[in-house]
Amino acid sequence: MTLHTLNCSPGSSAFADCLRFIAPGDALLLMGDGVYCAMEDTGSGRELQACGAALYVLGNDAAAAGVLARIGDITVIDMDGFVSLSEQFPRQLAWY
Amino acid sequence: MLDASKTKSLLVVIRHSPYGSSLARASLDVALSAAAFGQPVDLLFSGDGVLQLLQGQQTDAAGVKNIERLLASLPLYDIEQVYVDAEAAARYKLELASAPLPALALDRAAIGELLQRHDHVLGF
Repeated sequence: MTLHTLNCSPGSSAFADCLRFIAPGDALLLMGDGVYCAMEDTGSGRELQACGAALYVLGNDAAAAGVLARIGDITVIDMDGFVSLSEQFPRQLAWY
Repeated sequence: MLDASKTKSLLVVIRHSPYGSSLARASLDVALSAAAFGQPVDLLFSGDGVLQLLQGQQTDAAGVKNIERLLASLPLYDIEQVYVDAEAAARYKLELASAPLPALALDRAAIGELLQRHDHVLGF
């Protein structure tokens, strides 16, 4: 079980590699530029929904980017939620 | 003596090219530090990180530390072999036989298992 944190836009190789590395039971938290991957009715949004990981997005970052109202079926969390996730998962892998 | 019960295995995932940023050096510094303290370390090269394994890096004129030579020295620190994302290696037509140290190509499933069997994972 790994918590992946993605801080890259959908066009980055980090986004593609991150999706390849995701295994059953993993979670993916989108932050920084990663929040753009969550936009619904986009290719990246659909890839995320199909990747099998539990999906989260940092609310403050999504709001700053102006995509908070445009993200699909993804759980919005704050910093406390991030801390909880990092407690829940034995490993974290940062993609940037 | 090192208490074996206190060792934690570390996997360093390396995704950045050798000279585009300081991340390559930083990732290898982390690996060497952990190894120097007797912690078991594995390295996984993925994405542009596989470019660190290219043969024939000539850095004298550029004035930067030679990553190829640094990688070749890893066996001195008990890092005898590294792992490589097979898809990334194929993307750059990398010949692993000429890598600076023994490199084992892993498919997606094997990478998943590699992640699972380490206590800590650090991404660079």
